[in-house]
Amino acid sequence: MYAHLFSFFYLAQEAVAEETAQAFSLVALSNQLINGIGVVGILLLTGLGLAITFGVMRIINLAHGEFIMLGAYATFWMQSTFGMDLLLTIPFSFLITAAIGALVELTIIRRLYGRPLETLLATWGLSIVLQGIIKLIFTAQLKYVKSPPYISGNLTLLKDAQGSPAIAISYYRLFIVTIAIALLVLTGYLLNKTDLGRQVRAVTQNRDMAKCLGVNTSLIDMLTFAYGCGLAGIAGTVISSLKSVSPPMGQDYLVDAWMTVVTGGVDKLVGVLAGAFLIGESSSGIAYLLNDPTARVIVLAAVIILIRYKPEGLFTIQKRG
Amino acid sequence: MAQSTIGIATRSRTPTKLGIVTAISFLVMAILPFVVGSFQISLLSKLLLFGALAISLDLVWGFTGILSFAHGVFFTLGGYAMAYYLKLNLSAENNTYGGSLPDFMVWNGLTELPWFIAPLKYFPIAAIAMVLVPAAFAYLIGWFIFRSKVSGVYITIITLAISSALTTFFISQQAYTGGTNGITDVSKLSIFGINIPPNGLYWIILLFTTFVLVGSWWLTQSNFGLILRSIKENEKRISYLGYDVASFKIFIWTLSAGIAGIAGGLFVPLNRFISPVYLAVAFGTQVVIWVAIGGRGTLIGPLVAAILLGQIQNSAERVTQDWQLVVGVLLLIVVLFIPDGLVGTVQKLFVRKQKPVSTKQPAISSN
Repeated sequence: MYAHLFSFFYLAQEAVAEETAQAFSLVALSNQLINGIGVVGILLLTGLGLAITFGVMRIINLAHGEFIMLGAYATFWMQSTFGMDLLLTIPFSFLITAAIGALVELTIIRRLYGRPLETLLATWGLSIVLQGIIKLIFTAQLKYVKSPPYISGNLTLLKDAQGSPAIAISYYRLFIVTIAIALLVLTGYLLNKTDLGRQVRAVTQNRDMAKCLGVNTSLIDMLTFAYGCGLAGIAGTVISSLKSVSPPMGQDYLVDAWMTVVTGGVDKLVGVLAGAFLIGESSSGIAYLLNDPTARVIVLAAVIILIRYKPEGLFTIQKRG
Repeated sequence: MAQSTIGIATRSRTPTKLGIVTAISFLVMAILPFVVGSFQISLLSKLLLFGALAISLDLVWGFTGILSFAHGVFFTLGGYAMAYYLKLNLSAENNTYGGSLPDFMVWNGLTELPWFIAPLKYFPIAAIAMVLVPAAFAYLIGWFIFRSKVSGVYITIITLAISSALTTFFISQQAYTGGTNGITDVSKLSIFGINIPPNGLYWIILLFTTFVLVGSWWLTQSNFGLILRSIKENEKRISYLGYDVASFKIFIWTLSAGIAGIAGGLFVPLNRFISPVYLAVAFGTQVVIWVAIGGRGTLIGPLVAAILLGQIQNSAERVTQDWQLVVGVLLLIVVLFIPDGLVGTVQKLFVRKQKPVSTKQPAISSN
């Protein structure tokens, strides 16, 4: 059940498999690093929702992976019953997961504000429950989602002497990165430039004062959490066609998403981008020099050391306690 | 907290009662092999070990406030130490390739035993490693994270990362650890040439778990336990009082890992294999769930929860495939509505019932 442990490496693995016989070469390394961008995209997508629920609301959401899974299943369901294109399902899977997120906030999270360890436990229970429910509805069998046919093939950046592509990146990976960055920008805009975002920030900074000034804090809480879950849903949709869709798939992304968010720091959204870039590229690079499991161990150890010395993340402004 | 914060009031009353209850249940458990079948005995042995593991987590979580998803890791490290001992002591005819080298090492092209595994052939060394390896690993982690400004939730995230990283590591080192399959087909446990039958193993495990329970109870009732609980309540104040909070945390964390390691070591002769499944976050979560449902800070609660849930799971799995869903719902209910857990709530009811009796009508309680 928990055999999928190499979440952020399976992309890198494909690339490595082709070049295992080759000795160290600059072309292969740069190929690996460019493919690492795909990993960065996935980390950014999966981490973004957490940056909202954890970064803005300080909720330890261990069910984040399950919201990704819900988004993937929403896409699978729409594709198999209505024959919808993957791109078309994105807004719907956002809405579905956001609605479930709102419901969860109303029934569970709301009771536990200010008790981080309890929240952590409850969301872990929630993740088990969501997996169980999805297993009841869709069975434990692996499901497959078709990727859109017009986003296929590779973009060749460099050709070797024989004219075959030496450095290439698949369009789908570029698509993932594009979506991730677009969502990052959109979220930043919503949070910093709109009225709603101002209210969200006000509630985070001083809940009581915001309440006094007439902000409906409980509504803001619900909306913010729902938005974070919706982002996870989009991540699920986009990722669904890369691998199979199964109830425990969310577990694969949970630890990695957390590492991304913790590395970058959550004060600014750019931190997530930085975290995703650092983790994605360093693991791709180390995976090329050594191997995938070693890279994962090294990166996780590095993140642990980082948390030890800078628990607030690399890219935060030092505040006075 | 059901127990009063200052130990003196409870110390005079509870030990006799608790002692009697523990002694009776210990006796009942000890007689069980003559009453129930061998399947039930092996299941009970397993659940008792899980209970001991849960108690060890309760020491750090329920008393000191450190929530760890990595207790499965300490359990498994102890388990591997014992598994190497049992594997290396397979008689030559039972070994797939005749020689003394374990089968998975032969498959992965090792020609001789690695130096760091070879000493585990001898029981005393294996027994020491079973405690020392997890404890040393825990000490290292503890020393690294508790002497910093890292707070509760981040520690939990670190334990998640440790569990995830070690799982990957053990799976990748196939030649040394047996990869995903772990170490299988181990020999039966024999200590200095004496074979231990299943019932004997059960009694050893029962003794061990009882010892862990009583020892933990004694430790938490002492002044030391008082400090631990105060750390959970208000870490800053305790450090202002001049206590070195980090040292206390590191000590209990290491001790708890040692207990978990022994539980893991005893688990292997019972289970006949150990694999990275027990390293993974899922198993670590299972331990957390036992403690949460049983009641944090009650010691007996986690043990009861582990045995009860295991028994229910055993009978429920014949009926339904979705046991995990039931566990998830249970965990949610406990966190939201019964924060003291099952035993904690029972204790509270007990205390509440007794108080009015003692103040208003003291005559009734005489019987």
